[in-house]
Amino acid sequence: MEKRRAAVRAAALSLVLGAGAALACELPGGPAQTIRSPTHSVVYRAAPRLGEHFAVEFAVCPAPEGVRVDAWMPAHRHGMNYVPAVKALGGGRYRAEGLLFHMPGEWEFVFVLRAHGATQRLVRGLRVE
Amino acid sequence: MKRWLALLLAAATQAAAFTDEEVRAIAAHGPWPPAFAPDPSNRASGSKDAIELGERLFFERRLSANGAVSCSRCHIPERNWTDGEARAIGLARVDRNTMSVTNVRVQRWFGWDGANDSLWAQSLRPLLDAREMGVDASRIAKFVRQHADLACRYRRVFGAMPSEDEAVMVGVAKALAAFQETLSSGRTAFDEFRDALVKGDAAGIAAYPEDAKRGLRFFVGKGSCNVCHVGPAFTNGEFHDTGIPFFIEQGRVDPGRHAGIQKLRASEFNLLGRYNDDARRSTATGTTHVRLEHRNFGEFRTPSLRNLALSAPYMHNGSRETLRDVLDHYSTVSPDRLHADGEAILRALNLTARETDDLVAFLETLSDGGATYRRQPSAADCR
Repeated sequence: MEKRRAAVRAAALSLVLGAGAALACELPGGPAQTIRSPTHSVVYRAAPRLGEHFAVEFAVCPAPEGVRVDAWMPAHRHGMNYVPAVKALGGGRYRAEGLLFHMPGEWEFVFVLRAHGATQRLVRGLRVE
Repeated sequence: MKRWLALLLAAATQAAAFTDEEVRAIAAHGPWPPAFAPDPSNRASGSKDAIELGERLFFERRLSANGAVSCSRCHIPERNWTDGEARAIGLARVDRNTMSVTNVRVQRWFGWDGANDSLWAQSLRPLLDAREMGVDASRIAKFVRQHADLACRYRRVFGAMPSEDEAVMVGVAKALAAFQETLSSGRTAFDEFRDALVKGDAAGIAAYPEDAKRGLRFFVGKGSCNVCHVGPAFTNGEFHDTGIPFFIEQGRVDPGRHAGIQKLRASEFNLLGRYNDDARRSTATGTTHVRLEHRNFGEFRTPSLRNLALSAPYMHNGSRETLRDVLDHYSTVSPDRLHADGEAILRALNLTARETDDLVAFLETLSDGGATYRRQPSAADCR
């Protein structure tokens, strides 16, 4: 029972710390989008144009052990034809390169975070014309 | 005045028939033609001397194993730079339809399978293919070195003639690419309409045929054809399984994009290799990041629809003779013929006879009426 209480306290602390870090999550350089989960925040900036390669700059708070970026068209049941490469810039900031939206319509950015042995997906939709 | 008012009223009525969303979708198919931008991976791109050399090489039959097949054997100027055959015939019959080289410079990938990432690398493929022109670097280099005029023009473009046969061959391919970059289709009835719609030019809007307008509305609306045939060239430049069988003959299949990506990665002539003239590799992003998946099997590149009416027969294997045959395919295509793990884009359009007529009317307005290309009169030999 004591072990269980400790685990609950640790989880609650993690949530509080995560939320605190999320509030402080910033990406210098202009307007950006934010996606939040109970434990993490992703702040990202991208200017995709249909049929052109583009990059995504983003920050993750708190910094995860690993991060991957992808994109998906749910209605079409397919993703991109390209695999983005993520480069860590330090301080929880990253740059993903090699993305390309090859169709107009509803896309989703997908940030896959790995932390504390678990994986979570933070998703944000956008329309591409 | 009365006539002008009538025109304005008619145009306003027609324009009102297009929603804002439709107008945005239609506007995305222009402007045309696109401005020329040199290919940074090819230092000969845009060079007048390279274009002249490339033009001579394009029509040069001695660049083939039997001395009878030039690039223009399949890419015939009077046939919109294709050949009218279901499957191309070089030294032998190949497995795919000849893609036109009109507007080829605006592509991201080249060939039905995108096995090449530059126009100059693509220009090597038929030279080296035993079924097409069937030569190798040694034979190409020997021919160019021994041909006084071509050798002179080669040096004019690239400086000294390289000692390596392969480097000479790549120079030949880059000159061929420089020439092909000049092959663009002209303005069409659709372009006039599209620009008129964007500018709100009532007379220009009214001049576009009503059946073509209905076909266009179907194209960007109910048919969602512009999901793949998007942008000024009416192609997203990527690859799809459209339910056309990839069996070539008993025991042989065409793997399409799946093999194309593997060939691209294995090629020493891709944009990550030493023959890319752009030290920054600024056009190599796609090559670096391209994704290989099982679903790529049987996928083929979305062709441009510009000059479509001049490009029959259709599809990667030339299996559809007319535009109506193509529309019939999309009208009746069964999802059962598509990859189970593939994208969920296609559905049978179930076209009515009138919808088919309207789509044909629209698609025919994407053609510029025929080739305006004239071979340059033979200039004095280079000395």
